[in-house]
Amino acid sequence: MNIKRFSVVDRLFHLGLMLTFLIQAATGFSRLYITTTWGKKLCYLFGGYENAGVIHHWVGSIMTALFVVHVLCLLTKIKGKRIFGPDSLIPNLSDFCNIWKKFLWFFGIGSTPELDRWAYWEKFDYWAVFWGLPLLAVTGLMLMYPIASSRIMPGWSLNIAALLHKAEAILAVAYIFIVHFFIGHLRPSSFPMNEGMFSGGVSLEDAMEEKPVWVKRLKKEGNLELVMTSPPTLWFRVIYFIFGYAALGFGIYLMVNLIVYSRYVSLH
Amino acid sequence: MTGMKRCKNIVIVCGAILLLSLIFTLEFASAQGEEVASPLRRYKEYEVSTGYYEEYEVLPRRERPMVEIPGVRQGLFPYSPSAATVRIRTRLADSHQGIKFYDNRRCEDCHIEQTRDIHTVRANLTCRQCHGGEPIASINHYFSPMNPIRRHAYVCAKCHEGSSASFASYVIHEPSPGSMAAKTSFPVLYYTYWFMVVLLVGTLGVFIPHSFLVGLRELFTKKGEATKDADDEH
Repeated sequence: MNIKRFSVVDRLFHLGLMLTFLIQAATGFSRLYITTTWGKKLCYLFGGYENAGVIHHWVGSIMTALFVVHVLCLLTKIKGKRIFGPDSLIPNLSDFCNIWKKFLWFFGIGSTPELDRWAYWEKFDYWAVFWGLPLLAVTGLMLMYPIASSRIMPGWSLNIAALLHKAEAILAVAYIFIVHFFIGHLRPSSFPMNEGMFSGGVSLEDAMEEKPVWVKRLKKEGNLELVMTSPPTLWFRVIYFIFGYAALGFGIYLMVNLIVYSRYVSLH
Repeated sequence: MTGMKRCKNIVIVCGAILLLSLIFTLEFASAQGEEVASPLRRYKEYEVSTGYYEEYEVLPRRERPMVEIPGVRQGLFPYSPSAATVRIRTRLADSHQGIKFYDNRRCEDCHIEQTRDIHTVRANLTCRQCHGGEPIASINHYFSPMNPIRRHAYVCAKCHEGSSASFASYVIHEPSPGSMAAKTSFPVLYYTYWFMVVLLVGTLGVFIPHSFLVGLRELFTKKGEATKDADDEH
């Protein structure tokens, strides 16, 4: 039996974020690396340098719109004390305790911390988007409409916007393709895939292993039966395995080439 | 004529030549209306400045420095363009005035750093398309199309319709963001760059080792053992 972790809306938002992020990474870095042979080949996939730019602008706008919709959905879910409750994604003191316990566990001192519904790295993954996406959106819009932006901000702020956009993109891509993919797919307890975000739930055994405090809390509140679901069908699993591994493969391909061809980029 | 008399005549002639040259120099200087501190040290009016200033002329006190900067060439003829040790070229009608073999050189021979910007690399613009034909006036020369008072209209608007003076304050040839040149000429860029470097290194420096250690520990931990308290074993 599976225990439900993510609603359909959560999964749809994540899917939208995944697709837009991958397209933005591909189009953006194909343009940044246009002076390299790899960048040129990647641009060909999108119909050339100019077309890659058009796609990048449109998908960026969609990504920004999705983020705004998500924030609005979030605001509708705010209900008093639940903001800081055990099911909340807002960091609290126990997260810092868990970080310390995890650190000790790395070196064989003590056991791994017993986590509640959201682990500290999952909270970081969530809130990091709230830093990166608005920064990329604002700087991206400034670069999309430079003449209009220079009427509000001084023209040299476009230099700053370009630098921030490039730097934040590199940070986001490096974090997602190295850290997030490892935690989601490649670490031994998740391998071959953490299916939670695709199927909506994880097996009860895995939940007991990694999030024991959460399962115990549900049992205590008598809500465990309410969140139990049936495991996903085979065809659905095949689809999201292929999709997930395609995204993983593409991300690793992008990351490796970004590192290898970085010295051939002609810009400062 | 005796030898002594000959020597005396030579000395008189040399002295006369020296005196004449001194007078001539003074006359020449005064004829131009220049303010002259001495016949050896000329000081040209700012309005007719060639832009070449000697080292001692930009010091607070007009005296030769006691300790000279090693490696800085002090020419035999200190007023020639090639020997001037300080050049302020931003107000010249021809910014490349006095440069040797200029006609046979390409822009990037001297301005290689200025080719590494978006306009050159991505838009494939040539230098001439913005800087115009010869003579290329200095950027702050009053009649230069590159002068900030008119740059947006004469240069930027050729491609960016509707550009304003603010738009033209975008730094086309921005310095390498992490360099000391950026710290002096574009400090906001410099500090932004280093902030982002710290953020990137800090974030990845924490989470990559974290992920690695998680993976390593999980590899050597059987399922179900991870949460076992050490005390339970006793």
